[in-house]
Amino acid sequence: MLKQILSKLPRKSFKSDTDESTRGDSARSSDSPRPVGKSQRPHGGSSSAAKRASSSAVFPASMVSGFEPLVPFKDVPNAEKMNLFVSKLSLCCVTFDFSDPSKSIADKDVKRKTLVELVDFVACGTMRFSEPAILALCRMCAFNLFRVFPPNYRTSGGGENDDDEPMFDPAWPHLQLVYELLLKFISSSCLDAKVAKKYIDHSFIARLLELFDSEDPRERDCLKAILHRIYGKFMVHRPYIRKTINNIFYRFVFETEKHSGIGELLEIFGSVISGFALPLKEEHKIFLWRVLVPLHKPKSIGVYFQQLSYCVMQFIEKEPKLASIVIRGLLKYWPATNSQKEVMFLGELEEILEVINMVEFQRIMVPLFWRIGCCINSLHFQVAERALFLWNNDHIVNLIAHNRSVILPIIFPALDRNVQSHWNPAVVNLTHNMRKMFLEMDEKLFISCYNHFKEEEAILISAAEKREEAWKQLEHAASLRPVIGNTAVLVS
Amino acid sequence: MFFNGKRVAPPKPLFESVQRFQRVSQSISSQSRFGELRLRAIDIAARHEEKKMSLVEEPLYPIAVLIDELKNDDIQLRLNSIRKLSTIARALGEERTRRELIPFLGENNDDDDEVLLAMAEELGVFVPFVGGVEHAHVLLPPLETLCTVEETCVRDKAGESLCRIGSQMRESDLVEYFIPLVKRLAAGEWFTARVSACGLFHIAYPSAPEMSKTELRSIYNLLCQDDMPMVRRSAASNLGKFAATVEYTHLKADTIFKHGSDQDSVRLLAVEGCAALGKLLEPQDCVTHILPVIVNFSQDKSWRVRYMVANQLYELCEAVGPEPTRTELVPAYVRLLRDNEAEVRIAAAGKVTKFCRILNPDLSIQHILPCVKELSTDSSQHVRSALASVIMGMAPVLGKDATIEQLLPIFLSLLKDEFPDVRLNIISKLDQVNQVIGIDLLSQSLLPAIVELAEDRHWRVRLAIIEYIPLLASQLGVGFFDDKLGALCMQWLQDKVHSIREAAANNLKRLAEEFGPEWAMQHIIPQILQPMTEIAQNRDCYCHNCYGKTLCHSTLRNLQRDCPMVVLYCNLAMPWPGSDDNGTGITYDARVRYPFQSKLSSVLFSVKSFFSSSNVLEMISNSHYLYRMTILHSISLLAPVMGPEITCSKLLPVVITASKDRVPNIKFNVAKVLESIFPIVDQSVVEKTIRPSLVELSEDPDVDVRFFSNQALQAIDHVMMSS
Repeated sequence: MLKQILSKLPRKSFKSDTDESTRGDSARSSDSPRPVGKSQRPHGGSSSAAKRASSSAVFPASMVSGFEPLVPFKDVPNAEKMNLFVSKLSLCCVTFDFSDPSKSIADKDVKRKTLVELVDFVACGTMRFSEPAILALCRMCAFNLFRVFPPNYRTSGGGENDDDEPMFDPAWPHLQLVYELLLKFISSSCLDAKVAKKYIDHSFIARLLELFDSEDPRERDCLKAILHRIYGKFMVHRPYIRKTINNIFYRFVFETEKHSGIGELLEIFGSVISGFALPLKEEHKIFLWRVLVPLHKPKSIGVYFQQLSYCVMQFIEKEPKLASIVIRGLLKYWPATNSQKEVMFLGELEEILEVINMVEFQRIMVPLFWRIGCCINSLHFQVAERALFLWNNDHIVNLIAHNRSVILPIIFPALDRNVQSHWNPAVVNLTHNMRKMFLEMDEKLFISCYNHFKEEEAILISAAEKREEAWKQLEHAASLRPVIGNTAVLVS
Repeated sequence: MFFNGKRVAPPKPLFESVQRFQRVSQSISSQSRFGELRLRAIDIAARHEEKKMSLVEEPLYPIAVLIDELKNDDIQLRLNSIRKLSTIARALGEERTRRELIPFLGENNDDDDEVLLAMAEELGVFVPFVGGVEHAHVLLPPLETLCTVEETCVRDKAGESLCRIGSQMRESDLVEYFIPLVKRLAAGEWFTARVSACGLFHIAYPSAPEMSKTELRSIYNLLCQDDMPMVRRSAASNLGKFAATVEYTHLKADTIFKHGSDQDSVRLLAVEGCAALGKLLEPQDCVTHILPVIVNFSQDKSWRVRYMVANQLYELCEAVGPEPTRTELVPAYVRLLRDNEAEVRIAAAGKVTKFCRILNPDLSIQHILPCVKELSTDSSQHVRSALASVIMGMAPVLGKDATIEQLLPIFLSLLKDEFPDVRLNIISKLDQVNQVIGIDLLSQSLLPAIVELAEDRHWRVRLAIIEYIPLLASQLGVGFFDDKLGALCMQWLQDKVHSIREAAANNLKRLAEEFGPEWAMQHIIPQILQPMTEIAQNRDCYCHNCYGKTLCHSTLRNLQRDCPMVVLYCNLAMPWPGSDDNGTGITYDARVRYPFQSKLSSVLFSVKSFFSSSNVLEMISNSHYLYRMTILHSISLLAPVMGPEITCSKLLPVVITASKDRVPNIKFNVAKVLESIFPIVDQSVVEKTIRPSLVELSEDPDVDVRFFSNQALQAIDHVMMSS
């Protein structure tokens, strides 16, 4: 019976196998003697017309024929089912050119039906997966899923057509089934993690993570669900998964600023963080400081801001002492010219302040309110408004009231400037209300601040003059002392 | 703190205060800049006291000025002071710069990235200020710190500065200071240090003693296998530079390629390294070590890697010599030309000529030409366009027969391509084309292509073709040009897009240069003048006062900005005898002696009348404020040309009305316009009309309107006072 099944397998040329090994491709080909064809690119191919495909996969012309469906699962005895499972998986290792919808329609349908059968088989979960079955499934996923994305013309083409549709892989109908199969497989109770970890290994995970850069949100969604399960099931791989995702984040923040899947990866981290045991390990705190906080820097933060701020809040809820560290980081990466980002930062700030305790608050209030003062003065009314809305929050007002002797002197100049000259009436109004609030809170302090402010203003002007004078003198002194280094003089 | 051991007892109280400042700042390091600020204020106050009591010959404290500014909240001030570091250093003198300034900078590394970036840059050119190369090593510690910060730009700049300093340092200093620095960075805990280290090896290595050399090589090897992909990428991209300094015998052993990375971003950079290495190796070593790697890369599963190979393949061919090229690289190249990723084909197609040049004609015809034929009908326009830009270079390689037989059909089909860029690329290489296929054949196929491009709906395409017209003219000759292209050149003058009109005017000037003034008088001038004089005749002419008088250059220049035809006339008229080139102006005699000048004056005349026509002024009531702004702008340009009379009667009322506009941008532009036109009108008008309007604007709620109106009022006052 089994022989029969195997004989029905499409026989692929061994030639492509040898091609493959010379390339040193990391695909797991070494341990499989089965004549299963490689669907990867045979570059020495001859027909050029077929190569005009816009997708990035290449299909050898030889393998389109002789593709036959295997018997359904219900027709074989239980003992044979696992073998049939492997055979069906091997059948699905073949990939098709979807850029031309008229090509090999029948074969595509055979594969689709087989995939559906496989999904059903895994879903009903009656039998423990044998080791060859696990291997075959990983191989099949590798052949179908692990591909290099085509170039993204939108980002290279000068941003003129930014609102183009994202690039969708034409092979999605099959990809979707493969993803579903992988998800069901990993979450299946019939999968022994101890055996499977040999095949769902570092390389497999790394390549799975690379796929998060897909432009297709559906694909990223599937990946997210799968990675979640892998993280849950394979304890040994957890550190590796975290490390690899971190590398993706580092590359995004420090090198490219381009990645489609940051939001999804952060979402995974959101639940990972909530699972951290207390007290937090040093490693995890470093992650907060080295990864999550710098993620506030890229200009595309809007895409993943929600997930990012969720992760940050998870940390602070676990360990309130981290609040001041995070705020310090926010202040470091505070946007200078991007008003939308500034509004987001203010939002996150409010969330943190909502839960911060007094000690932490006092630790950062001086630089924090200096920055808030700047925001209150922002010419972008949304920024100014958002900053002033902080005073609508009872907890924050309470914190401020306790520390008013420090905070009011810092933001007083900002309030005064707004009342004098802000162009937006709503902002002026809000500022007035706030002044009134402070006045009612502590009249004496308010008046002393006012007086101090007037004095300070005069001092500032004279300080600026003094500074200019000092530089003039310095320059004079410098001109009297020519440089006598024995290299060429480099004067800026 | 690095330098504590080296500090000599400081002679000046200044140093104590600096030290105290450092102590203070350490004790409060957990506090903010603001805490420091307050303490710094106390510190400075104390120093001022000291200053009064001590030292008359030391009038100021350069470091104090710097510290003062570096602690300021205003980032602009902090940046300014860093930008003037050299001034401070010179005022301090070399010795104290080394002893005080540099250590201070080393500790001031917790600032905004922008400030750190400026610091990294300044330190790179600081060698003269610390006393020349023998002291250059004191600059290393602060830069080492900067090499480890988070921000990539700062790290890159610091690395760059370190290389610059290192390349000037004495060999013994390099051994004593620079090499340990590289090792420290390479062993850095955080990846930023290790990334920076990779870029410094090529400076450190040459002067290292044998033992260190071995160590440095093994460290670099470790970096190539680092745990973090960021470090591996940096190691791969710096490999070429480093390899160039490594002795030949070690080269083969130390290569990153043996570690092949599963990250395509790393492999990508390794390709570049391969090309660099290939140039360093002897051909036969190149064949044994590099060639297999490159052939492998050319079949990589990532198109980015293959793209890189396509870009670098040519250089490798040079490195390995003709025989291996034929057997190994030609097949690889052919594969790349037929790659299924367009991006790769683009890169490969762009190199087709260069590649053919190092092959012999037979091979080219046999292997490359069929691919070229395929590429000329490629589905991607970018591929065709890349091919079109280089294909003509193949002609000399292939020889005349093969060119006519094989290349010409490809060439002609590209010239009829539906995508304008492709056609343009062919036309831009026209001189080469002409030599190969001769003018008759060319003109038959060329003309339709040009006509179509001339009417393309993308103005950039039209612009590009205009720029090639003079080249065409010189290739094709006057006769052909008059027949076919003359009309096109005139048509462009009336294009909707300003840049096209401008280019068209310049084009006519270049044509006139090409064919000579006689030709221009005959063919260009009458055709242009007609529409212009029509305009002049059909409009009410307000302005007569310029005719026969003197026009200044600036007026001309203003008009040139708005009207391409004026540009043309000016270009044609200026070099001719009779134009007054002494800077005062052009004389317009009633008895005009030179035709160009007479044309010029009539054109100017008609242009003025065109602008001042009531139609234009009506646009001031257009609902879109940008149009109203444009009119304000033209009024400010026109007023000096029109003279006081018309300005007062026609233009000024418009401006005054605009001052009541509801958009602040209009209002402050009114203020600007008024400021520019008050000198040309009578004083009574200024007092009666302009000043009241400005006074009103100076009380506007908008801050900018107030600013510009006050500025205008001040200007008026200033002129009144001086007169």
